[in-house]
Parts: sequence; C-alpha cells; structure tokens
Amino acid sequence: MPQSTQDKIITYLQSKLPLAQDLSLSQFIQTAVGWSHEIYVFYAHWKENGQEVTRGFCLRKDPGVGLLRGLSDLKEQFRVIQALEPTSAPTPKAYWIEEDPALLGGPFFIMEKIEGEATNPWSKVGKQFYAEAAKRGKLPRSFIEALASLHNLDWRAVGLDFIGVPGPGTDFALREVAKWESLIQQSSRKPEPVLTELLQWLKANAPKTQRLAFVHGAYRTGNLMIKDDLITAIIDWELQVIGDPMYDVAYVLSDLNREGSPLLSCVVEREFFIDTYQEMTGLTIDFDACRYYEILYMMRSTAFWLSASGLFAEGKNKDLRLARTTYSVPVVLDMAAKALGF
Amino acid sequence: MSPPMIAAHRLLEEVIASLRNVIAPAIADPYPKSQAYMAAVILEFVARQVEERHDIDEEKTHALTDLFHDVNSLLSGKAPAVANTSDQEARLSRLIEWLYAEKERLGPETFTAANQRVRAALRQLLDQELKIAGKAE
Repeated sequence: MPQSTQDKIITYLQSKLPLAQDLSLSQFIQTAVGWSHEIYVFYAHWKENGQEVTRGFCLRKDPGVGLLRGLSDLKEQFRVIQALEPTSAPTPKAYWIEEDPALLGGPFFIMEKIEGEATNPWSKVGKQFYAEAAKRGKLPRSFIEALASLHNLDWRAVGLDFIGVPGPGTDFALREVAKWESLIQQSSRKPEPVLTELLQWLKANAPKTQRLAFVHGAYRTGNLMIKDDLITAIIDWELQVIGDPMYDVAYVLSDLNREGSPLLSCVVEREFFIDTYQEMTGLTIDFDACRYYEILYMMRSTAFWLSASGLFAEGKNKDLRLARTTYSVPVVLDMAAKALGF
Repeated sequence: MSPPMIAAHRLLEEVIASLRNVIAPAIADPYPKSQAYMAAVILEFVARQVEERHDIDEEKTHALTDLFHDVNSLLSGKAPAVANTSDQEARLSRLIEWLYAEKERLGPETFTAANQRVRAALRQLLDQELKIAGKAE
C-alpha cells in the first residue's frame, strides 16, 4: 500500500527530530489559499525526554507547474524567511528545506505555523471582518507597521542582497517589466494587442528609483496572518525584490486590492495610511511613481492570469481557479487601458 | 418527433444552481469547497461565451480591418514592414511594437495620431472581450 502524504511527512520529521518518539500529526489540512504552491498546515505531537511536545508546522511544496513557472524559487523563499528571522519584520521561523523531489513529489520546505488567520479579503465575510477591524483601529496601524518594518530594514546587513540588487535609474522598473514579460512568453499565448501596448508604454515610461528597499511585492490583506487585530506574520514570500519601496506602496494604494471597499486593502483609510507610512519610514510617497507601478501591477496581473489559464489549458494543472482566470485577462486589461486613457 | 433539446444555457443554469446551493455548502474541507464554487463561476462565463462568441469575432474583424486601413493612411508611406498574416491580432501587436520602436523617426505628431488610432481599436477589441468576461455577479 503506498504511503500517504501524512505518513511521508511523519517519516521526514522523524529524520529531522531524532529525539522525537511516537510522532503523530493532527489537524492536517491542505489549504485552499496559495496559487503556485501546495500548502499543508498541521500539528505534530511527540515525546521527547519524557515530555509531551506539540508544535504547529506549515509545509510549502513546489508542485512543479506553479503559477510563476520558472520564476518561482523555493530555495530563495526559504533563505528570505531565514534572513528575516532576526529582524523586526513579523515572519515565521524557517525550519528545514528538502530539495529532493522523491520524498513528496516535489521540493518543499517546512516553517512554523503562525497562529492567526490570513482572512481572504474578497469574500463577503472577509470584507466584513476587515471593515470591523478597521473601526477598532488596531489592525490598520499594525498593517502599516509591518510594511514599514520591511522598508526600514537594512537588507544588506541581514544578507538579503543575494536576491539581486538593481542598478540606478530605471533599472528596477525595467527589470520588473522584463520579468513579467518573460512569464507571458513562457505562457506560450499568441500576442495580445492590448497587452503589447501596455508593455510598450511601461518600457517607454519607467520611473527612476530614488531609494532601494526590501520590497515584499504583494503586500495586502490575505497575505498577512492576523491574530487579535495584530499582524503576526507576513506570508507569501515569492515576489520579493530589492527595489523601489513605492512598488509596495502602490500596491497598497491600488484599487486592485479593495474590490469596492472604501478602505485600502479593505482595512486602512487612505489618509491614515499615507500619513502614518511617511511618519514610520521617513519616506515621502511619490504618487507619480505609484501611478506607474499600479499600471505595472495590472500588467503583472495579466501575466499571472495568462500563466494560470495557460497551465490549465495545457493540462499541467487541474485547479479550477486557474481556469477561471482566463476571464480575468480582459477585465484587468480594461483597468490598464482606462488608466492609460483609452 | 423527438422532444426539443434543452437549451445549453438552461442546463448550465441548473448545474450552476446545484453547485452553489447543494454541492459546495455540503463540503467541509476548504479546498474542494472552493473548487465547487469556482466551477459554478466558470460555468456562468461559459454560458455567455457559447451564446456570444460569433458576434464578437465579427465585430473584432471589422475593428481591425478599419484600423489597418486608417493607420496606412496616417503613416502615408512610412507603414511598417509587417507581414500580412491571417492572425490580425498578432499583426496589430507587431504594429504597436513597430510604432514605439520608430517613435523618434516618426515624430511626435505622427506617433501620437497613430497611437491614438490604435488605442481606439484596442478599446473596441476590449469591449468585445468584456461581453464575455464582464463580472458575472
């Protein structure tokens, strides 16, 4: 009889915890969140030196055909989480990485299971949760504090320059455009004229980066674990870059992440975000750069959806959420076209 | 005489209703539950796609034919060496790339006029796509 995923994980954990006896798992769930990785959360229980031990884990596995295709690097994600551990940025503790695909059918790493919920902001329940939390006041401030903790980070000192440092001027913006254009090309679709216009405009209008920072790349509710109205962890470490902090700020300011909510990222008032972010970071928000990056995000979203629907169409991934994204392409291109004035 | 076939959109309505009201609420695990709801959303799009695809293709073909005619006039002899292909959207993509690459040579007035005409056609194409992809809710 073939071993179940849970049995394989028990065997793996046993090899990493040689003193553990009677190791077992409970509350084992494959989560519905995450587009490019399989994510499993569970508790492990064992006896060690006569003591009962219980610890929560989160396992992130590369399925081999994830949304970001060749752009996703599991080892980089693990190293980033490790590098962030001694900093004030709220992140889980990284435990082990396994690059041998034979064990679970793909490389994976295991990190701490952080207590809290990354409530989905797009659902009715999620919107209500964030709207009520916004009224209570603690979560909006925590949202900005966690972002500031990334942008204030001495990224060279903690060794994060291994992820690549852009050159001066327009290099950062052009690198991002090139990265997402490569994903579009990997998705092997025929040329889409609206997207071509968008890409050409982005290349012709790239802003100069004034200051480099450690940038999350997808900073929004849904990618943040929350407990008692406080951010307990920033998650989804897949799109991080050294780059313009306005790249994250633009994402927060963007309409892309609030779907009808008057609050940024469904949780924070615009003026409060602007004032508090500037106060916490000492940076002045460059709204022109943010407008450019918002349009870049629209191109990036298009790249995501083309990649996702392409994976489904190619029969490489059976997740129906990926099929649905084919209808998101014209919607996000429409947003971009309107932003460009047509 | 055999009974009339039930319309595809009617069948899809039933499947969607079942997925939303019967199947998904009965599933406890979050992953398969989200898959069931997503299947309902996709079928709503498919229902509209089945009915509207033909009109959309015709409208897009008209928009592109008019565009290429107008751009040829606007560029008056400076037209790009873009191969005449049956894939009109690929041809338009190459025209856009050519316009940006030749922006300096064309000068601001010609570039802007051609770009605005292209953007007007892109808007027409998008409007057709949005007939299917517009929000289901």
